[in-house]
Amino acid sequence: MVSVRTGVLLKRVDLRPVTDPLSGEVRGDPHGGMSAADRCALELALRTGGEVTAVSAGTDAARDVLREALAAGAHRAIWVELDPDASSAAVAAAVAPLLADCAFVWAGDYSLDRGSGSVPAFVAAELDVAQALGLSAVETEAAGVGPLPVRRRLDGGRQELLEVAAPAVLSVEAGLVPPRRPGLGAVLAAQQAPIEHRIAAAGPIPRGKSAAYRPRARVLAGPDVRQSARERLVQMSGALTVHDPPRVVHGEAAEAADELFAFLRSRGYLS
Amino acid sequence: MIAVVPVRSGTLPLGGAEAVAEAGGRAVLVGSGVAEAAAQLAGIATAVQGWETAGFQPAAWSAALTGVLHDHDVVLLPASPDGRDLAPRLAASLGRALYAPAMQVQTDRVTVIRGGGLRTEVHHPTAAYVATLQPGVRGVEVAATPGPELDLLDLDVPDTPADPRGTGLLDADPATVDLADARRIVAAGAGLGGEQWVELTERVALALGASYGATRVVTDAGWAPLRRQIGTTGVVVSPELYIALGISGAVQHVSGIGQPDTVVAVNTDASCPMMTMADLALVTDAPALLRELADRLGLSAPVPADAAAVEAPRG
Amino acid sequence: MADAVRPAPGAAEGFDVVVVGAGPAGSAAALTAARGGLRVCLLVRGPYPGAKNMYGGVVYPRVLDGLIPQWWEQMPIQRWITRRATMLATPSQALTIDYRTEAWGRPPYNGATALRSELDGWLAQHAVAAGATLVTSTTVTGLLRDVSGRITGVRTDRPDGELRAALVIACDGVNSFLAKEAGLYADFSADNITLGAKEVLALPREQVEARFGLSGRDGLDIEMVGVTGRIPGGGFLYTNLDSVAVGVVVSVRALAEARMRPEELIAGVKAHPAIAPYLRGAVLREYSAHTIPEGGYDTMPGLSTDGMLVAGDAAAMCLAAGIWLEGVNFALGAGAAAGETAVEAVAAGDTTARGLAGYRRRLDAGFVLPDHRKLRRAPHLVLSDRVQNAYPQLACDLVEEMFTVTNPEPKKGAVRLLRAGIKRRGLRWRELARDGISGLRTYG
Ligand SMILES: Cc1cc2nc3c(=O)[nH]c(=O)nc-3n(C[C@H](O)[C@H](O)[C@H](O)COP(=O)(O)OP(=O)(O)OC[C@H]3O[C@@H](n4cnc5c(N)ncnc54)[C@H](O)[C@@H]3O)c2cc1C
Ligand SMILES: Cc1cc2nc3c(=O)[nH]c(=O)nc-3n(C[C@H](O)[C@H](O)[C@H](O)COP(=O)(O)OP(=O)(O)OC[C@H]3O[C@@H](n4cnc5c(N)ncnc54)[C@H](O)[C@@H]3O)c2cc1C
Ligand SMILES: Nc1ncnc2c1ncn2[C@@H]1O[C@H](COP(=O)(O)O)[C@@H](O)[C@H]1O
Repeated sequence: MVSVRTGVLLKRVDLRPVTDPLSGEVRGDPHGGMSAADRCALELALRTGGEVTAVSAGTDAARDVLREALAAGAHRAIWVELDPDASSAAVAAAVAPLLADCAFVWAGDYSLDRGSGSVPAFVAAELDVAQALGLSAVETEAAGVGPLPVRRRLDGGRQELLEVAAPAVLSVEAGLVPPRRPGLGAVLAAQQAPIEHRIAAAGPIPRGKSAAYRPRARVLAGPDVRQSARERLVQMSGALTVHDPPRVVHGEAAEAADELFAFLRSRGYLS
Repeated sequence: MIAVVPVRSGTLPLGGAEAVAEAGGRAVLVGSGVAEAAAQLAGIATAVQGWETAGFQPAAWSAALTGVLHDHDVVLLPASPDGRDLAPRLAASLGRALYAPAMQVQTDRVTVIRGGGLRTEVHHPTAAYVATLQPGVRGVEVAATPGPELDLLDLDVPDTPADPRGTGLLDADPATVDLADARRIVAAGAGLGGEQWVELTERVALALGASYGATRVVTDAGWAPLRRQIGTTGVVVSPELYIALGISGAVQHVSGIGQPDTVVAVNTDASCPMMTMADLALVTDAPALLRELADRLGLSAPVPADAAAVEAPRG
Repeated sequence: MADAVRPAPGAAEGFDVVVVGAGPAGSAAALTAARGGLRVCLLVRGPYPGAKNMYGGVVYPRVLDGLIPQWWEQMPIQRWITRRATMLATPSQALTIDYRTEAWGRPPYNGATALRSELDGWLAQHAVAAGATLVTSTTVTGLLRDVSGRITGVRTDRPDGELRAALVIACDGVNSFLAKEAGLYADFSADNITLGAKEVLALPREQVEARFGLSGRDGLDIEMVGVTGRIPGGGFLYTNLDSVAVGVVVSVRALAEARMRPEELIAGVKAHPAIAPYLRGAVLREYSAHTIPEGGYDTMPGLSTDGMLVAGDAAAMCLAAGIWLEGVNFALGAGAAAGETAVEAVAAGDTTARGLAGYRRRLDAGFVLPDHRKLRRAPHLVLSDRVQNAYPQLACDLVEEMFTVTNPEPKKGAVRLLRAGIKRRGLRWRELARDGISGLRTYG
């Protein structure tokens, strides 16, 4: 039997970043790891079989997550030394050549720090293969026999059913499968196992000015243009609008429930 | 600037209208039911092109659309699931940089969201680029004007790059509906004090035809999955009815709840911010009220017995 | 196809020493043992050393002199304590003795504020650099024993998770499950458990320096008595680089009886008129609470048994009573002693209790046991009602009356004021004298 190659993309991220509320400066907790989504990707890579290659691009701290991958059962681990601020496209360009002949390449749906979810798509583009991203379910039992049935989360709560034929890049949500817990012997052995090392050039690095998140002003519906200037002003200021006055009710659960149901009924939310 | 909006069965994706508005009204709609979708852009879109094509095929579409998009300095997509997946592939086929997900997009200035919403980064691109716009951050004005003219495109689907084969669509139910779309939300806060109460919140919400959401304290504690988190680092929602159980009303939470017509707050502290913005403020023990609601809504399954007996672990 | 990493046969058996817990005690033990040429495995429950130890503290690292030369050049500290204040307070008064010295601001320094996540990580790195194998996210769930009952290793929560070694060093912190399982705690009583709770409040660095009169890396530590209401205990405030930690150390039992939460006590400290102005506008960054063995010499378990040593909080080597909170230094000292003993015992091929006798000898010869013996009565004294309430009141009243100008009344002498105050508070001279003597005996 010809052995299949499977790839998995693991990013070492800060798991509990602290952002200064004024400057937006990230005071990282230096102890990062794999996100839950990446952990899930690793588990799926191991389950769908073949020879599993784990790849992580970034600073040498990437080796920590690769050791975890080796302990969990990955066969090869490759650290691609790359500026951690490299663009998603640059990350993809750096890792894709290492995964060229893989049947499936697994990844997490979003990284915790960048969160664009774009690296897997760029990798698919680099490799010129199919992509199925943001998966919420994978039928792993079907692995190895034809296309892989998966479910992909859409907006509005809908889900799409897909069949993904190899070669393809798949990205998965956290918690889709429970990750395995490596044995103690494997953890100890992984500490000695070799991690391959490549160096990649980052290309132009998109450096922007960082700030703490502040919501953007939202666009609201403007006043009706057919009205007079005064009417529009009144409408915009809300000065003469009649509101039900807010009510504060103190009471035990039963009383509160009465109030709530009556209120929801009066507003038409319950019949 | 032009928006590229993937369309499914005549439905615009989450944030689709916002992306078109941000792009100044110029858009290419791609997918099935583009005419129907265009009609929903009345008052927002000014120049709409449409390409009627089946399924969602990120690889094939990016290849096909390159020609149409070449002359536009900024190509903007909604950061909806389809938009997020199509954008990098388009960027790759156009040979451009991608800024995703963005909070604001102007030709020479993009504000991207980083760290899952903890911070933003302002970039000043010097070359043509592709971006995605985070749904819910901008808002759109709607107007009762007739829909825009639709200029239908006739493009060939290249058959070289493979896309996965769609085999079906599962419709939403309130339990799984994306919070951003939910019209009624019951949200669970730290005041509930335990995972079992969050579970009950979910069931009560369902019985009220609502989805359930949570604060960051609740998702951090693992009582609810992260995608249920409402607020600046979670989902931005815009329900009509918002019921807050044991929520203090921190600004990071409240800035994500939109402008609900009706707000109900349940809290033991009558003067916390959430209560002051409520139409109906119930000063009562939230778990006890939940149990009462569950009883009255006929939710038979076992309900946790004693609220006081369970205390949230701290520290 | 390449082989996945498989445990080499016997790989899991190749250690001389298993150290459980990578706090200060564990890392010091692993470092010392590895330097002595032993094969050491350092097991820790969290995903990295210090993961659970979110709180910081004031540490007195001089004990590191023998382990990491010039440690002050590389240790991750926040500020060097050059100002130490002791405050006796009543709800509306405060008498503070404020000591400041330049000497504590230069090598070899005295105390420093440090974040435990950083400190623990740094110490563990030294152990790894010395050759110890660090295994994270692994919880020890039990001891392995041979037929004679001798401890021969540990069981962990990982698959194929048994690890054998000639010696286990238990550094698993307060409430040590290993020491208990080994039968080293004769009786374990909740009375001896203290709770430490703390808030870290963010304040810009310039504000920290301006408000507390500090510059550069200088820092302040305020210990308080009389700020915990009716619950015996103490409060503390210390400065980090750009934050301030405020907390309390109180008896768990009293807290439970009073049905109070530690946050309420911290809120009381923060609202005290002598403290509130320091904290105006500070933003809560984190809250943490943790139990501490109130310790004292009298609650220590047996320190060794066949195949095992116990060090640090696991052996109740923390001193926590009211204004005292010292544990890291004792943990480091005991850990190093355990590591040295391991080297000696493994070389001699005898890790039975007899072969490990050098441990107690080292602790006796150093500071760990002598200090604990000396301060064995400190918790009782500091937590007594008189020290908690009466004395602060007495002292504050005395000073208030001395400095209150009562013209046209003539001034009263200090002795008269003291006598009146003692009477008013219903105190007896005899108790005062007794406390004085026991204070002298304890600290003198
Ligand atoms: C950069 C940043 C981003 C953030 N992003 C988000 C975000 O996206 N979403 C988010 O939610 N938060 C976010 N937060 C956290 C936010 O600041 C608040 O800490 C959080 O929203 C508070 O959640 P809460 O209301 O559930 O808890 P709390 O603030 O602890 O409030 C609990 C409430 O329950 C009440 N209560 C207690 N007991 C009962 C009872 N028995 N019955 C009824 N009421 C009771 C209390 O009076 C209190 O009002 C963010 C914070 C930061 C710094
Ligand atoms: C709020 C607070 C403030 C304090 N402030 C100070 C201060 O200012 N100055 C000072 O000197 N001391 C202070 N202390 C005391 C000090 O923290 C302790 O004395 C010191 O940490 C003891 O070190 P240790 O190595 O013995 O134990 P710990 O630091 O508790 O380390 C124990 C380690 O063992 C691990 N562990 C536990 N069980 C297992 C298991 N079964 N398997 C694997 N690993 C396990 C834990 O994860 C942990 O890493 C404070 C304590 C508290 C709670
Ligand atoms: N530097 C990297 N090294 C390896 N994999 C990465 C890297 N960056 C992103 N990924 C993978 O791509 C997924 C999505 O990340 P992102 O596109 O950054 O949101 C992650 O969950 C990883 O699986």
